[in-house]
Amino acid sequence: MDEVMSNIIEVKNVTYEYTDEENRFTAVKDLSLDIERGSFTVILGHNGSGKSTLAKMLNGLNKPTRGDVFVDGINTKAEETEIEVKRKVGMVFQNPDNQIIASIVEEDVAFGPENLGIPPLEIRRRVDNALEAVDMSDFKKSTPHHLSGGQKQRIAIAGMIAMEPECLVLDEPTAMLDPKGRAEIISTLLRLNREKGMTVVLITHYMEEAENADRVIVMNDGEIIADDKPKVIFSDVKMLKDVGLDVPQTAELLYKLKSNGFKVDTHALSIKEAAEQIIKALGTSYTDSEEK
Amino acid sequence: MSVLEVKNLTHTYGGNTPFVNDAVKGVSFTAEKGEIIGIIGHTGSGKSTLVQHLNGLLKPTSGEILLDGVNIWENPKEIRKVRSKVGLVFQYPEYQLFEETVFKDIAFGPKNMGLTGKELEKRVVDTCNMIGVKPEYFEKSPFDLSGGEKRRVAIAGVMAMNPEVIVFDEPTAGLDPKGREDVTEIIANYRRCTGATVIIISHSMEDMAVIADKLLVMNKGSLQMFGTVEEVFKNGDALREIGLNVPIVTRVFYELKKAGVPVPDNVFTVESAVKVLEKLRDGDGNA
Amino acid sequence: MLRDITFGQYYEGRSVVHKTDPRVKILLLILIIVFIFIAENAFSLGFAAVMIIITAIISRVPFGMYLKNMKAILPVLIFTGIINLFYGDGGKVLLSFWKLSVTTDGVYRAIFMAVRITMLIFVSSALTYTTTPNDLTDAIESLLSPLKFIGLKSAVHTLAMMMTIALRFIPTLIEEAEKIMNAQKARGADLENGRLKERVKALIPVLIPLLISSVRRAYELAEAMECRCYNGGEGRTRMKQMHMSARDFWALAFAISVCGGIITLNIFF
Repeated sequence: MDEVMSNIIEVKNVTYEYTDEENRFTAVKDLSLDIERGSFTVILGHNGSGKSTLAKMLNGLNKPTRGDVFVDGINTKAEETEIEVKRKVGMVFQNPDNQIIASIVEEDVAFGPENLGIPPLEIRRRVDNALEAVDMSDFKKSTPHHLSGGQKQRIAIAGMIAMEPECLVLDEPTAMLDPKGRAEIISTLLRLNREKGMTVVLITHYMEEAENADRVIVMNDGEIIADDKPKVIFSDVKMLKDVGLDVPQTAELLYKLKSNGFKVDTHALSIKEAAEQIIKALGTSYTDSEEK
Repeated sequence: MSVLEVKNLTHTYGGNTPFVNDAVKGVSFTAEKGEIIGIIGHTGSGKSTLVQHLNGLLKPTSGEILLDGVNIWENPKEIRKVRSKVGLVFQYPEYQLFEETVFKDIAFGPKNMGLTGKELEKRVVDTCNMIGVKPEYFEKSPFDLSGGEKRRVAIAGVMAMNPEVIVFDEPTAGLDPKGREDVTEIIANYRRCTGATVIIISHSMEDMAVIADKLLVMNKGSLQMFGTVEEVFKNGDALREIGLNVPIVTRVFYELKKAGVPVPDNVFTVESAVKVLEKLRDGDGNA
Repeated sequence: MLRDITFGQYYEGRSVVHKTDPRVKILLLILIIVFIFIAENAFSLGFAAVMIIITAIISRVPFGMYLKNMKAILPVLIFTGIINLFYGDGGKVLLSFWKLSVTTDGVYRAIFMAVRITMLIFVSSALTYTTTPNDLTDAIESLLSPLKFIGLKSAVHTLAMMMTIALRFIPTLIEEAEKIMNAQKARGADLENGRLKERVKALIPVLIPLLISSVRRAYELAEAMECRCYNGGEGRTRMKQMHMSARDFWALAFAISVCGGIITLNIFF
């Protein structure tokens, strides 16, 4: 009877409208989407594509104007289960400074479980585990103010993990970070997904962050315009550039070569793969000398 | 003569509080008129501290900064005049907007320099024309603009002072590709129109390869390298040693070279890469 | 400048003072402050000073950190000192002009006041350096908890939450204010010179962006708290449980004997 559903989140024909005195703006248009348990999904879209509005609907922070969102079978519109939904879907935002509540790292991580009324010893265990999971145990007594952006963002992730959610939704968590911080966050998320089986929904406009995802969804103008494996999505560099997305330089190079008549496969993303494609396109004389 | 000359600049943050870092140690370099210099380095490598000296926001612990041959601290009372000659656009500059209208906000800088009346108005209008702030925006509240537009207005606020050197601290941070392109264009345009020297702090080697003439590499408060883009990016190993890297396209070319493809080692942009490879293909590899 | 304000900045450590129950520390602070003002002669005040310095030493917080807080309060110290100079109403007249005169009594008063304020800063710094801001708010919440019997439960929790957030955001906002000030200075704003009226006006370009950003932060923080299942104080537990231990009773005993010492010295000298 209590069969575990394979989808943790189901978005069914959801529309979201912002309204003020004069304007009415539809941010998300009749969108449907399932997030499978244990998957790593990346949602790509430029600023204003509706991706943040969608993200906030996944944990009930935004309620759909029309349509329904189900988290583990629970409709996010139901008031009595609001807290339960938020616990199941942890949410991390762009600015790490504005989601850290306490002045000591471990006390901040404890904030969520404390709100859930969990016994003190159990909170202690969860906080230690969560900090371990984001590799920040050494900083548990530190002041968040003195940490780097990437470290602060990992604390924010730990704060969510401590609530033992089923799924993590991250709304542009790397937008304000330097390259080092960005790399830290992406590798943390991959590890959580691969080792702990955490379902991850990562929203970003950096295409290269989607490289290791199971599935990439591209949003534009409130709608899903592509939904496939990263390799397939990335082979369509033109579409990605058209919707205003960041394209890694390897993809850009291959794309330009292709439009200049080179026979290259444009979905190669890594530096090695790109070089191999170019060598292949240049002709056989070079492929032979590859092993030296 | 160099527009800007930094001589043996050292800055240590005072006191023995445990929160001190981001110092600068013995940095020297010169900037010529009309150059675009990119400053690269990790967070905490002293980049931000360095640039805040260029317009006298910070005073060197030792060493000096010469602007048109004159030490900017020669007369400390005149330091505000230096700030209109060396413009500094901070990270996320849109957070400093405060006036009721876009026009008034852009006028804040020139007004502080003493411009009034028609002269002030002309200055603001000219700046807006140059960087593409449309007249219909003049009477809007800056807070009603989109993120990219706010950034443009904030940058206009500094450019309106007509600085001969303009410094940007990560001018494209947090913007999407379209916004980044716009900002890069504004910067290039300002240099073209005014002949000013431009200094840009950036994390993106790829962007720097396209826009900069010279690169200045900071590491742990010291100047690690200073030279043309080619000179710096040819030192890929030295850059990697301090945790930085060359543009991705250059790394692709390393791989090509390793595989025996006869490619030159001065390819730093996608454009030049495509050209080189075309030549190679069409000229049977004798390029 | 703004960087010098380190009140409310915790200095990590493992000293006895750090480990004492924050509730006990707050009660002791209040007690000691009262007794600093009860001490009325050089001996009792001197005794209290020595004890406070001992406390500062065993806290293992660098002495320079204490002195830095002193520096921030120096103008107040000098001002009260000068006012007190003229308040003496006995003793030998040392100096007089217009309607004011400085007497030996006034000099004593000034010195006493200065010493008292210095001690006040020292003990309060000893509390804030050795107690995390969160522990402080928890302790205040706990000390105020009897109020919930008169129907103020949510008020106590709200107050504590407000303090936690305020403490968390003070350094962030100070840093932000500094950044905005620098940005406006880079646009030629003159924040340092001019008459009071001009200087107040010159602050507008700093205050408006600061206000706007604070509102934005508050909004984002509220959303983040909602995402972390915050629902007021109802049903909330705490990871850290405060327990009185033997150490706390020793601290209490120490403080009471200091107070006793002060009274004794007051009487006998």
